[in-house]
Amino acid sequence: MATRRYLQLDVFADRPGAGNPLGVVFDAEGMDTATMQAYAAWANLSETLFFLPPTTPAADYRVRIFTPRSELPFAGHPSVGAAWAVLDSGLAQAPDGQLVQECAAGLLPVRIEQRGDARVIHIRSPHAREVDTGDAYRSALEAAVRGLPGGILAPALWNNGPDWWLVELVDAGAVRGMQPDLSAIAALTDASHAVGLAVFGRTGASDHDLAVRAYCPADGIAEDPVTGSANASIAALLHRNGALPGTGGHYIASQGRELGRDGKVEVRVDGDGEVWIGGRVQAVIRGSVDW
Amino acid sequence: MTTRRYMQLDVFADRPGAGNPLAVVLDGEGLDDNVMQAIARWTRLPETTFVFPATKPEASYGIRIFSPRREVPFAGHPSVGTAHAVLEAGLATPRDGLLVQEGIAGLLPLRVTGSGPIRTIAVRTPRAKVMEIASPSDARLHDVLDSLPLGALPPALMDGGRRWWLAELRDETALRTATPPWEAIGTLAQSTESMGMCVFARSDDPVYFLAVRAWVGAPAQFEDAASGAANATLAAWLASQDALPGNDGRYRISQGREVGHDAIIELFVDEQGEVWSGGRVCSVVSGQIDW
Repeated sequence: MATRRYLQLDVFADRPGAGNPLGVVFDAEGMDTATMQAYAAWANLSETLFFLPPTTPAADYRVRIFTPRSELPFAGHPSVGAAWAVLDSGLAQAPDGQLVQECAAGLLPVRIEQRGDARVIHIRSPHAREVDTGDAYRSALEAAVRGLPGGILAPALWNNGPDWWLVELVDAGAVRGMQPDLSAIAALTDASHAVGLAVFGRTGASDHDLAVRAYCPADGIAEDPVTGSANASIAALLHRNGALPGTGGHYIASQGRELGRDGKVEVRVDGDGEVWIGGRVQAVIRGSVDW
Repeated sequence: MTTRRYMQLDVFADRPGAGNPLAVVLDGEGLDDNVMQAIARWTRLPETTFVFPATKPEASYGIRIFSPRREVPFAGHPSVGTAHAVLEAGLATPRDGLLVQEGIAGLLPLRVTGSGPIRTIAVRTPRAKVMEIASPSDARLHDVLDSLPLGALPPALMDGGRRWWLAELRDETALRTATPPWEAIGTLAQSTESMGMCVFARSDDPVYFLAVRAWVGAPAQFEDAASGAANATLAAWLASQDALPGNDGRYRISQGREVGHDAIIELFVDEQGEVWSGGRVCSVVSGQIDW
């Protein structure tokens, strides 16, 4: 048993409890894969990450990311939290506002923006592409979106690591009032090996441009409070259709209010068409972990 | 935003990860019900407790217990874990080996034995009543018990605050290899307003006398890793049938191996027939929470 520094963060949150929790274990040298997995299962957070020394001089730090069930090569909200924790703890510095994260998926660029007292972290998301499904899932898709007031864009399956079904609704009000048919969504995502289905709708609200909800019933998560990968795929879909909200390729998505959260995901599409997702982080729990 | 002392514990565990996790916020003063519920939802643990100064002179401290969904009047493992946290923080000292917690369910004594890593804490559980002794061929139980080799005692419905069905199985191997018939357990829990089915078997193991599995049927269906309350009703049932294992009303049970845990719970039925349920507690996370 060893004592290690521990942080529990709230990611995509401008106040504690608004976002998606993340466990952060520092100094994880000496923990093997089984031990990390056992701790992540016990902690029961959507993700727990472990800091390790990088294996290449090109990286500033290295993380391994675990859900309660398995290791992930990459995930958005843990990566945003990782970069924040690195800077908060002094594990690495970013004088030019940039860091490179090493994770199982490879090297990942991170940009840090200081906005007043808050540090906003932006992660480049893996490249997203539409998955051609033909008519294979037509009836399952129709069942999953039955009764929903659709938007302009046709529902589609996109991949940026995980596969997400993306469904535009007529506006943010339709998103917020949606009563999901979770068994129909589970049937669709099971059949197509997708992680979930995400809906989005535009709004003229003062503090965000898009409302988003994401459902993963086949994975045991009826609705996810704040979802990096789904937001990144939605941005890629909107960009391809010349339909990005906001200004200059920059917009803010609101997710989680229906679950008592209030997550904010900052989305940027750069000149190369790459999607960056970002947000603020709150340090909720600080201490040490004995395991 | 206020900083409060925080601990995350493993209860009924002689090593981290063996037992049932619990979060404890040690300085609960100033937190209202909504905030406590939000914190309990955010920690994603089975229960989160909040410690307050006692309002009655005979109480050592006040406690509120929240699951991610609602406040719980009494539960065994949160009571045992909270007493451990209170002792670690130096917030109270046992009198004649006893602490008294003041909660929604009233005043409840906890017995503290030993110190340091071998300290055990047991809570006196609410008196449990035998509601019903059933026949194994009872139509309501048939679909749950049909595939299981039963032991000597008949199935019984106990009420110790929460209601549990109890059924003895023939031996430990039959218990450990049983596959829970989830659909039937769900139906039984709903139709009898009970938590579900707790099965047990006698064991030759040198550490524990009984092996136990607790299958919760409603609202969600899952196997509990370590059930202080279910085991307390089981002790009361065994005492009522003059079938207690062990010596002087004391025995240990093993629970949770089938779901990746390895809890040991110590039961004691005293001369007055009161049931004490307890065990060891490991401190996993120690620090502070900002909310």
